[in-house]
Amino acid sequence: MQYIRNFSIIAHIDHGKSTLADRFIQICGGLSDREMKAQVLDSMDIEQERGITIKAQAVSLPFTSKDGNTYELNFIDTPGHVDFSYEVSRSLAACEGALLIVDASQGVEAQSVANCYTAVELGLEVLPVLNKIDLPAADPDRVATEIEEVIGIDATDPLLVSAKTGVGVKEVLEGLITHTPAPKGDPEGPLKALIIDSWFDNYVGVITLVRVFDGCIRPKQKIVAMSTGRNYQVEKIGVFTPKREERSALSAGQVGFVICGIKDISSAKVGDTLSDVSNQSEEVLDGFKEVQPNVFAGIFPVNADDYENFRDALDKLKLNDASFSFEPETSQALGSGFRCGFLGMLHMEIVQERLEREYDLDLITTAPTVVYEVHLTDNSVVQIDNPADLPATNKVAAIHEPIITANILVPHDYVGNVITLCIEKRGVQQNLVYHGNQVALTFQLPLNEVVLDFFDRLKSVSRGYASFDYQHSHFSPSPLVKLDVLINSERVDALSVIVHNDHSRSYGNSLAVKLKDLIPRQMYDVAIQAAIGNQIIARTTIKALRKNVTAKCYGGDITRKKKLLEKQKAGKKRMKQIGSVEVPQEAFLAVLKVEK
Amino acid sequence: MNEPLGLYIHIPWCLHKCGYCDFNSHATEANAFPEADYVQALISDLIAGKDDLQGRSVRSIFIGGGTPSLFSAQAISTILDACQQQLNLSSDCEITLETNPSTFEGEKFAGFKSAGVNRLSIGVQSFDPVQLKKLERIHGRDEALHTVHTAQQLGFENINIDLMFALPGQTLEQALDDVAQACALDLPHLSYYQLTIEPNTRFHRFPPVIPSLDQAADIQAAAMAAISDAGYTRYEVSAFSRQGAECGHNLNYWQFGDYLGIGAGAHSKLTVGHEIKRFQRVRQPGSYLTAVAEQKQVIQTRLLGSNDLIFEFMLNQLRLRRGFTAADFEQCTQLSWPDTIAPQIDHLLALGHLEQSAGHYFASEHAYRFLDSLLQEFLVETP
Repeated sequence: MQYIRNFSIIAHIDHGKSTLADRFIQICGGLSDREMKAQVLDSMDIEQERGITIKAQAVSLPFTSKDGNTYELNFIDTPGHVDFSYEVSRSLAACEGALLIVDASQGVEAQSVANCYTAVELGLEVLPVLNKIDLPAADPDRVATEIEEVIGIDATDPLLVSAKTGVGVKEVLEGLITHTPAPKGDPEGPLKALIIDSWFDNYVGVITLVRVFDGCIRPKQKIVAMSTGRNYQVEKIGVFTPKREERSALSAGQVGFVICGIKDISSAKVGDTLSDVSNQSEEVLDGFKEVQPNVFAGIFPVNADDYENFRDALDKLKLNDASFSFEPETSQALGSGFRCGFLGMLHMEIVQERLEREYDLDLITTAPTVVYEVHLTDNSVVQIDNPADLPATNKVAAIHEPIITANILVPHDYVGNVITLCIEKRGVQQNLVYHGNQVALTFQLPLNEVVLDFFDRLKSVSRGYASFDYQHSHFSPSPLVKLDVLINSERVDALSVIVHNDHSRSYGNSLAVKLKDLIPRQMYDVAIQAAIGNQIIARTTIKALRKNVTAKCYGGDITRKKKLLEKQKAGKKRMKQIGSVEVPQEAFLAVLKVEK
Repeated sequence: MNEPLGLYIHIPWCLHKCGYCDFNSHATEANAFPEADYVQALISDLIAGKDDLQGRSVRSIFIGGGTPSLFSAQAISTILDACQQQLNLSSDCEITLETNPSTFEGEKFAGFKSAGVNRLSIGVQSFDPVQLKKLERIHGRDEALHTVHTAQQLGFENINIDLMFALPGQTLEQALDDVAQACALDLPHLSYYQLTIEPNTRFHRFPPVIPSLDQAADIQAAAMAAISDAGYTRYEVSAFSRQGAECGHNLNYWQFGDYLGIGAGAHSKLTVGHEIKRFQRVRQPGSYLTAVAEQKQVIQTRLLGSNDLIFEFMLNQLRLRRGFTAADFEQCTQLSWPDTIAPQIDHLLALGHLEQSAGHYFASEHAYRFLDSLLQEFLVETP
């Protein structure tokens, strides 16, 4: 066990985590050059394109140190986004050490700070690494100071690397061996293994990635998932090198995979403890929780004929994404679809993109909403994740909305802009700390403001420099109202949003104007109204087109004319018919583009 | 099938190919085109193609282009003589020749008349010298007027001029001025159509600034009112005539009648037995000449299925202001009205997109302005 090191990498997007991981694999000989595809660990297209890791993975690498010993380095990759903070915490819990990678030309980002705090809380040794020192703009001294000031860990002697050129990479591995403690645990005790992640494989079913804390896990062993009490028989175990290699045992301190006949990943919950049926551990590992989606949106196929394909696609996605939920929803405007639950906005975007790309579906997504606690006059409380479900005003005693604690790091030049934005979004400032050039801001913000356009706005007011991390804080009563949109006097349920009363008028106005821009002119005037209850608070009119008949048509050759009309008709098919009005997909997300 | 039909003859050369033109026309120097060979090819093409006509009477001939008036009177005469010999021309056969003012010569036009041409369609496009230049027309306002006047003096009564609107930078006043000058000529027929930028044209590659959709609509509304005030009836989307002076040849297209097209790139639509077919001929003039010599000028034959027939019938007939009858539909498409289109027609009547009067179905005034949308209702998707 003394020759095992379990570690993970904390890094902001683009700070070079994947490139560095690839270097480790290369140095340790995990793959031949031919097999070495750029950024091995991010295997999904979206992961490679966006540079975001969605699923945690692990590689087990043999490394011979200059002290003459060969170590088993287990590198546990972590999902890299605010929406996945629970998954990150479980990946970190499986490690004794972490590398904090910071781009030496940029500096510390909020998300790295949050993850570092989690790592420190979990007792990990955090080793600062300054990457991209080959860049002319690299300023290691400044960034090292920033790490000390903002995160509060010792960075007096940071490791300097360029993952791109390979400079300093070996030193990082040596540093890991000296600074990261070897795992502790009792190989003879009752089995205690932490589920770091799980995913579905078409051939073998669910593959579970675990860290063994105590005891040993072997094929044919009967094990139990302690949160559900369900029993399974271990079929295969092994490690990723990064190729999947079977082993005869995984014992205390080791990281590897377990295949044990689990049929769906919701039975292999991240953070759960696996133990031995005949020699069950007395206690579970700390930190387990059931992940609950907190952002919801309706997703509907543009063509009703695609409904079954859409459901199949959702089923398939769900196989590999336990934090995603869906149930049937019927909208008067959009027909049959599903109410989908996500961990956050990025998660929602990723799911949507995968559905459109991997399953070739034309979809309409409605504006995202959060979960509200609605206190009714009969003293009961209902949870609402869809504005259309909001009970009649006379039955509602109060609406409570989720509030988050947001941590924002921003260069001081932009701090004024960011504060203005947070206040506009009904934020309440909790803290403001200067760390050299960076300012750490803490705000309490209503999540419903954040899910609309907060990320985009934050990026634009800070020219991309602000970074952001959040945790759920509490529910708070708030004067919220449902804002409806009427197209030609017909209420369009899919366009309803819940907004703060004080903002409702300006919101209604901006929304009506935005819809006017997004909906193309039609054969008749189209009236767009925003209403609260029966009161119309804003109105715009999309003036009718005057004509669309093409003047010239000589009888001889009609093929071109026919093609043109066919093309126009195909374009319309991608729109949704609301009454006699053709509404494009983007219009349903208009609320995200409203500027107040 | 023994309904009368139309004959289209394509002459594929122009002295200059204008920036907006997407027709099968090719620029040529005067007298640098193979006139005699082409005339012979047309006659061979006609003889080969006439089998499909089965002796049906030919009610109209339209010699279009290109610029057919580039050809000599003798050439046109030879072509029309061949038509007379090979086909069963009706006694009142309308014979139109397309002309451009730039090719006008009084003597030649007298020759066209002797050859049998009894209708002229003159490509004026605008009377505004600035616009004519932008459109790359190679004639001026005076040539246009001179052509019309001389043609009238030569005894041509049935004359059409083509006029375009929504031209680059055109104002409403300028457009109405064009219309006023056209109406002042007091001709029996006027074609008034909007400039559209078509793919594969110079205007498409280097787009001029043209009036917006709304501006074009304003021009169209005002111009049509002025044309109507001048005593013309709009019988088709862009065709206006005095009483009884509709263009018989185009009317046949719009009524989804049959026609044989000969010459480079010409299209035909013919009912042969129970089959309704479209044909296309080789487009490039040079290749056409070679192909005719080998009797391979027809490069594409397409049999129309019932979905094609319904759509193409509507595409043409709904352009006519007075519309069509159920009998027209059954006769042209050989399909049963109640078994195919009747439910959809009822639906569109109920929506107010179609109207019905004295057995004729036609687009409502509103839908007539949105004919593209209305026609899409008749497109059936082929998966």
